Amino acid sequence: MFQKNRLIIVLLALCITALFSFSVMAQDAPLEINFYYPTAVGGPLTQIFDGYAAQFNEANPDIKVIPTYAGGYNDISAAIQTEIQGTGEGPDVAVMLAADTQTFIDNGYIVPVQQFIDEMEDGEAYVNDFFPAFLLNSVDGDGMVWSIPFQRSTPVLYYNKDLFNEVGLDPEKAPANREELIEYGKQLTLPDGERWGLLIPSDGFPYWLFQGFAIANGQNVVGENPAEVFFNAPPVVSALEFFGSLPDEGIMPDGVIVWGDTPTAFTSGKAAMIYHTTGSLTNILNNATFEVGVGFLPAGDVGYGAPTGGGNLYVFTTSTPEEQAAAWRWIEFLSSPEIQSDWSAGTGYVAARQSAWELDPLMSLVAEKPQYGVAREQLEFADKELATHQGLDIRNILGTAISRVITGEMEPQESLDQAQAEAEAILSQYR
Amino acid sequence: MDAPAQVATSQLKTLPQIGPQKSLLALLFPYFLVAPTLILIFVFTIWPTTQTVIGSLYKPPLTVRQQEQFVGLQNYVDLFDSSRTTRPDISAVFTKILVNTLVFTTSTVLVSVPVAFIFALLLNRKIRYLGIWRFSLFYPALLPLIGAASIWSFIYADTIGLANTVLRSFGLPTVQWLNIQSMSLLSVIIVIIWKQTGYYMIFYLAGLQSIPRDIYEAADLDGANIWQQIRFITLPLLRRTTLFIMVVAFTAGFQMVEQLEALGLGGPNDSSNLLLYYVFQKFSDPRNWGYVNAITVILLLILMLFTVTNFYFFEWRRIREDEH
Repeated sequence: MFQKNRLIIVLLALCITALFSFSVMAQDAPLEINFYYPTAVGGPLTQIFDGYAAQFNEANPDIKVIPTYAGGYNDISAAIQTEIQGTGEGPDVAVMLAADTQTFIDNGYIVPVQQFIDEMEDGEAYVNDFFPAFLLNSVDGDGMVWSIPFQRSTPVLYYNKDLFNEVGLDPEKAPANREELIEYGKQLTLPDGERWGLLIPSDGFPYWLFQGFAIANGQNVVGENPAEVFFNAPPVVSALEFFGSLPDEGIMPDGVIVWGDTPTAFTSGKAAMIYHTTGSLTNILNNATFEVGVGFLPAGDVGYGAPTGGGNLYVFTTSTPEEQAAAWRWIEFLSSPEIQSDWSAGTGYVAARQSAWELDPLMSLVAEKPQYGVAREQLEFADKELATHQGLDIRNILGTAISRVITGEMEPQESLDQAQAEAEAILSQYR
Repeated sequence: MDAPAQVATSQLKTLPQIGPQKSLLALLFPYFLVAPTLILIFVFTIWPTTQTVIGSLYKPPLTVRQQEQFVGLQNYVDLFDSSRTTRPDISAVFTKILVNTLVFTTSTVLVSVPVAFIFALLLNRKIRYLGIWRFSLFYPALLPLIGAASIWSFIYADTIGLANTVLRSFGLPTVQWLNIQSMSLLSVIIVIIWKQTGYYMIFYLAGLQSIPRDIYEAADLDGANIWQQIRFITLPLLRRTTLFIMVVAFTAGFQMVEQLEALGLGGPNDSSNLLLYYVFQKFSDPRNWGYVNAITVILLLILMLFTVTNFYFFEWRRIREDEH
C-alpha cells in the first residue's frame, strides 16, 4: 500500500516537472501566427510574402508568422467557418475581400482592429494616412475600423496609343467623357469583330465596373447603411441604360464579355480600349507590343467616378487575445509605408497609404512609368465597393440584373426594379 | 457403430466447447469484419445525408447573435414559389437551373451514347492505324474535366478564340459561344459530348467483342444485310451494355459541373448553370445553407430515382429471370 502511494507521488512529481518544463519551453518558442492570403493578380506572390515574413520574424523574435497560400477568397472564408464550428484550424490573420467586412461582422468571424489602433501612439495619424476611399469599406455605421486596406485596386481605362495615332486621335488624351468614349470607339472599331473599339467585361462580378458608371452619375449603388441599396435610383438606371447601349453603338460586342480574356484581347490588338483593374497593369505592360495609355474611367453626368476593390487584412475571433495582438503587429508591418510601396511596385495593386507613394521603389516606378500613378489620382473620385449585409448575395443580385440587360432579356428599369425588390427582401431583415 | 464414425465423434468431443462467454465474441465477429465499411458509409454517407435533410428544414441565423429557426418544408416551397419568400433571387432562378440540369443531362446522354455506339461499330473492324483511331476518340475521356473545359475555353473565347478565328477566316459570321443565353448551355453540352463519347465507346467496344463472330456468319449465310445484322443481332445482344451505359451516363451527367468553372461560370444569367454548381456558388455564405441543403436533397432524390431504375433493370429483372 505504502509502495503504491509512493509510486503515485513519484509519477505526480514527474508530471509537474514535465508541465513546468513545457511552459518554460513555450515561453522560449515564438508565438506562431497563421497568415492566409489568396491570389488575385499575377506575379510571384508566394516569394513576396515569404520575404516579408522572414523580414518580420527576424525583427520580432517573439512571433513567427507562417504565410499560407490559401486559394481564393472563398477558401479562406470556408477555413474560418470550419474553425468556428469546432473542427480544423484556420488563420489568425488573413487577406479577404474588403467588401465583405459587414458580412464577416454578422458571421462573428472578425474582431474590430479599432481596439489596436486606439492603443497606438499615433493611431489617428496612422488611419488618416490611408486613402479615404479605401477606408470606406473598412468601417461600420459607427465609424469603427474593422479591417485594414491592403491589396486594393480600382478600375481604369486602358487604351492602345498606337491605334489612337493610326486613326488620328491624340494618343495623350484618353476619352474624357461618355460622348468621347463612343466617338473614339467608333473610330477605332473595325468591322466583323476584327477589332472592337471598347471592351468592358461583364462576367463574374459585373456589378463592380458598373459601379463606376453609377458613381459618375452621382449615385453609388450603396450608401453608409449596410442594410440599404439604391439599385433602381434614376441615376443608376440611366447608368445601366448607357452601359447596355454600348453594343448598339457598334463599338462593343453583344452579350457577356469575359473578364479574363479582356487583357489578352487588348494586348493582341483585338480591342483598342478596355476597362480593367489596375491590378492588370503590370501584366498588360509586359505583354503589349505597343504603347499603353492609362486613363480615368470617362466621366458621367456629374464627373469622374470609380469604385474601389480588392482585399483587406482581418483579425479573427477564433484566435486567442495574444494571437490577435501578434496578428496586429504583422498587420502594422504589412501596412507600413515601406512595405506598401514595395508591395504596390511588385504587384500592381494600389498602395493604400498615401505616404507609401513618397518612398522608393514606388516613387521611382511612377516617375519612370506614369501609368502606375493614374489609379492613385483617380482615387479622389472613387467611392466604396458594394458592401452590405449578406454581401455576396446582394452583389450577385445586382450582377444578375446587369447581365439581364446586357443579354437583352430585360430593360434596365425593369431589371433594376426586380433587383431592388430582391435586395430589399434580404436587407429588410436586418433593419 | 463402425470405426470411422467413432473416430469422428471422438474428434468432435476434443473440439473446444463454445461457452456463453465466447459465443458473444462469435456473435460480434462478423460485425467487426464489416465495421470498416460500415464506419466509412456512416461517416461519409449516412451522417452527412441526415445532416443535409435536417439542415434543409431550418432557416440559418442572419447574424451570430440569432438562433436558427425551424421552418419545416418552407425552404422547398420557397424554391418553387417566389411570391412570399425572403429570397426571391434564389427562387427566380431555381426552376431555370433545374430545367437546365435536366436538359443538359438528357441531351448529353442521348447524343453521346448513340454516337459512341456508331464509333464502336466503325472501330470494331480491321482497319489501318486502328490503335491511333481508337486512341484519338478515347483520349478526351482521359483528360480531367476541368482540363478539357479549359481547352474549350480557348476555343470558345469571344474575340480571340480559335472557333471564331476559323469562322472569320472563312468569311462566316462569328458566334458568341458562351456569352449569350441562347448558346451558352449548348456550348457546354458540346464539350461534354466531346469528352464523354469516347468513354462510352470503350464499353460498346468491349460489348461488341464479346459477341461471337459465328452469329454474324450465320446471319450472312441467311442473307441478312449489315443493317439487319445491327438491328436484330448487335443491338439486342448489347441491351445490357446500353442500359449500363445509360445509367452511368445519367448519374454522371448530374454530377459533372466543374466544366462551368472554365466555361462561363454558369452564366450569363444562369442560362448554363447546373444544380450542383449552383449549390457550390451559394454554399460559401452560411445564411444560404437552408436552401443549399434543400437543393441538395432534391438533387439526391433525382439521383435516387436513377439508382432505383438501375436496380430495376439490372437486379430485379435478373432475379425474376433466375426464378423462372
